[in-house]
Amino acid sequence: MTLLQNLTPLITNLNALAGGLFLVASFGIVATRQVGDCLRYFIFQSICLAASAVLMGIQPYSPHLLAVGAINLITKVGLLPWLLRKLVREEVYTRREITQAVSIPSSLIIALMLTLAAYWLSRPWLNAAAAGGALLINLPIGLAGLLIGAYTLTTRREAVPQLLGILAMENSAFFAGVAVAPNLPLIAELALAFDILILTFVMGVLTRTVHEKIGTTAVGRLTQIKETASPHIEAAAARPSGRK
Amino acid sequence: MILTAIIVIPLAAAALCAIIRRSPAGAIITLVGALAALALSAWADHCVITSPHHVLIEISHWIELDSLGAIILSLVAFVNVTAAIFSLGYMDFKQSGSGLRYYLNYNLFVFSMLIVPMLQEPNIVWIAVELTTLFSVLLVGFENSHEALEAAWKYIVLTLMGAAIALLGFLLLFWAARQAGAVQPYTWSGLVAAAPKMSPVLLKAAFIFILVGLGAKVGLVPMHTWLPDAHSQAPTPVCALLSGVETTAVLYAILRVLTILQASPVTHAGSWVLVFGLISAGTAAFLLLNVRDTKRLFAFSTVEHMGIILTAVGLGGMSAHLAAILQIVGHAVTKSFCFYSAGTVLLLLGTRDIASIRGLIRRAPIAGTALLLGGFAIAGAPPFTLFLSEFSILKAGLGRGEYLAVGLLAIFISIAFFAILNHVSRMVFGASEATKPSEMKCRSLPTSCKITLVIAAVPVIVLGIFISNPLHKLIVLAAISMRG
Amino acid sequence: MSVSILYNLIQVLVVMGFSPLAIGVLNRMKEIVQSKRGPSIFQPYRDLRKLFSKDEIVSDESTWIFRVTPYIVFVAPIFVTLLIPVLTNYPLFWAFMADMVGAGFVLALAGFFAALAAIDTGNPYGAMGASRTRMVGFLAEPIFLVVFFTVSFVANSTIPFIVQQKWVTPAANFFTPSHILLLIAFIMLILAEKGRIPVDNPSGHFELSMIEESKELEYSGRGAALMKWGGWMKFFVLMIVFLNVLLTPWGLAATTRISAVLLAIPLVLLKMLIFILFLVAVESSLAKLRLFRISEFMSAAFVIAVVAMITSAFAH
Repeated sequence: MTLLQNLTPLITNLNALAGGLFLVASFGIVATRQVGDCLRYFIFQSICLAASAVLMGIQPYSPHLLAVGAINLITKVGLLPWLLRKLVREEVYTRREITQAVSIPSSLIIALMLTLAAYWLSRPWLNAAAAGGALLINLPIGLAGLLIGAYTLTTRREAVPQLLGILAMENSAFFAGVAVAPNLPLIAELALAFDILILTFVMGVLTRTVHEKIGTTAVGRLTQIKETASPHIEAAAARPSGRK
Repeated sequence: MILTAIIVIPLAAAALCAIIRRSPAGAIITLVGALAALALSAWADHCVITSPHHVLIEISHWIELDSLGAIILSLVAFVNVTAAIFSLGYMDFKQSGSGLRYYLNYNLFVFSMLIVPMLQEPNIVWIAVELTTLFSVLLVGFENSHEALEAAWKYIVLTLMGAAIALLGFLLLFWAARQAGAVQPYTWSGLVAAAPKMSPVLLKAAFIFILVGLGAKVGLVPMHTWLPDAHSQAPTPVCALLSGVETTAVLYAILRVLTILQASPVTHAGSWVLVFGLISAGTAAFLLLNVRDTKRLFAFSTVEHMGIILTAVGLGGMSAHLAAILQIVGHAVTKSFCFYSAGTVLLLLGTRDIASIRGLIRRAPIAGTALLLGGFAIAGAPPFTLFLSEFSILKAGLGRGEYLAVGLLAIFISIAFFAILNHVSRMVFGASEATKPSEMKCRSLPTSCKITLVIAAVPVIVLGIFISNPLHKLIVLAAISMRG
Repeated sequence: MSVSILYNLIQVLVVMGFSPLAIGVLNRMKEIVQSKRGPSIFQPYRDLRKLFSKDEIVSDESTWIFRVTPYIVFVAPIFVTLLIPVLTNYPLFWAFMADMVGAGFVLALAGFFAALAAIDTGNPYGAMGASRTRMVGFLAEPIFLVVFFTVSFVANSTIPFIVQQKWVTPAANFFTPSHILLLIAFIMLILAEKGRIPVDNPSGHFELSMIEESKELEYSGRGAALMKWGGWMKFFVLMIVFLNVLLTPWGLAATTRISAVLLAIPLVLLKMLIFILFLVAVESSLAKLRLFRISEFMSAAFVIAVVAMITSAFAH
């Protein structure tokens, strides 16, 4: 234990580093141009999350958090990309450039403002709880990631990046969670991980159906439903898909 | 045992559907499961009322049922039965395997709604709420049309975005509890007990996140845009479940958190809910004026009713809480009935376009009567439950001196009343443009739909006149528990 | 004091003497990675000798700016060398003459004159290159400032000699997020400022796409030699700042003995070799960005720098 106590500043710093890289990954998800990169940034973000959980599990020693880190690593770094590859292969790996509503530099600036807002918002909470240590890192960064994820959802128009935006939001909530709720019941953690997989599965299936029936995955451009009379179904000029 | 059985039944039904892989069998299994769940939930209600602390404990601190939960559970179980019957005749499975998909998802969806009121660990309740989205989204997009898929996508993206925000809220709630040393046992009731010791700042932050996040799923106004789309594009039985009880089940989670706040030193929680509720009710009331689609009409009405319920809860006080719970009950049974009648019209005339539905009372007397009854009931006309509850809400508000809120709410309710009845009366009595007998012709109505309309109409009519003693007791108990 | 001045002069000599070598090694490595043999690592020295021995041609249309610019470009990095810890980890004679911001200004002055000189002759490519350099420069400027702000947050100083010890005492501080993120941002800055891939291709000779090189097109003989040498020294100085101030302030002379200072020379060169290997890896694995993507690259650097600042400013 004394050895571990000597490591405390190192672990604090490494956790902070994981936080900084987590934030950078959030920026990456909002700003990258390619679906594949988006996924890679998400995986990187998940690794940072798992690293943070493991670091905080080492000091103070908590097997629970180590398990959380392991669960995250297995589901988000292992199973989730595999699931996506199964479901929406050509979306992730064949399509290259994706559009977004706001240009990349402006998006980054907006994301930066959201980060500052997150620090500003979380300050009173941290003061109220007289918090120190990892909370000072994880809570604001988690909140910032949440806001940036929400922004990603509004600015991205493609199905898979929107899915990744949602997953990034959940990641961010978790990132704050490993600090604010380190002793969450393990059953809840397991259920959450399971839930993420169902989420990916359902959205993947939906993306595929949208692609098959409508011929595009630019879900942000689906605006058929309006307050219009008698809905008519447009014969979707179905793009020939490579599958089947 | 009872609660476990209620949880297991829909899961078992889903498993059986997956194994048997034939849609007629799936329909029967689903219906039997629904009936069994309804019977068991009635039995569970009885146990809740008769037990000493009014709690039915299955697994201590994890699965318990109290009065408020019992009401939600029974509503879900009831609408589940009617929706299952309605599905029999309504769903027409052209593709092989689509019936399997439908009933599998249907049962999982019902499962997720049934567990929400039973679970006691708030974080797991969050998961259950998220599952209601995940299991229902494929049902919303079930018809695979452009609109249905678009609606499903909007639904999942907006509600999951809300869910992620709410997740942070729930984690902050856990943090607040941890600060106050109230982690063991971490349940709704444990939180209420520990609330006075919790940090108000953290509780407030947690509540705002939960209100905004789950509010997206309830359909509160800035985040409501998905709701009319999803609730109108889904197959009608699913619409009844979504609009009637799914929103209510999520609202239940908000009410639980609000109860914690009201037991704590936080002062303004009620007012935030009030403002949110009024904005929702008002916006929905105005949007109701120029709706062009029958199902969207009732979907916007759901937004309005959620707003009214939140307003009532925000007003605070025993009588307002009583009225709010009565409104929850009345809304669930009435809204599902409304969707069945709209679905019947869709089945008969093949359209949801309000402008082209005219003279329904002559062309399709059953559907016309049902639509008229539903319209009156959901708008809050006198003999029905919703009149009673809305009137009580206004009265409770006046009693607490909230004149502005009451005035606004009264205006919104009147606008919505006018809008709904305007649309409904034109559909039912309006002069039909079609003169040729061939255009007047309707398709025939499946028996199961008629049965559903009759069964679903019973509580709509009865509850306004007579509330049975056990139900009354449950409502009072729930209102007491909401005071924290 | 006289020793201090002497060491400062040794620093200048090291920078002048080894900057062509660094470039030679970098170029050779890149060629080897591309499965070519490449020129000798001493090729830059030969280039300099060749250029110095040649006649200089100056356009009649040009003004004094064109003639004076090579000297400014050559002197600016030398000036900066006096301010930064090249070999010692204690302040030398001129260390407090200016801080990192001042050093940045001196380098910017050289860039300013180079841009003016490029326009001066009326060569269209020169003007194009100058405007592009300015574009990159404008985008780089806020990043430099944010980096300096962050440094001053952490070290309460912007004097390079003082800053250098802050990140590694205690050693765990090396891993503070502000430090790591700052390093990433600074690498991106070096790449942009010195026109390396992915911002610019230093070995490309296609006038329409070049940024950095086009400013020197009109120079010949001694002018060209000074411009080139100045550019190499600037690169060398930036690497020194990165390595000795920000990344690894180890291996520097801690005592005033001449032997320690001389021993520091190979250690610093070793560090630089490792960094050059890293640069080769970066340049070989990336493609040059299209011109309009440069703003995205720079905004990414900016965001990383600001994140570094935020995490250091709000961490306590």
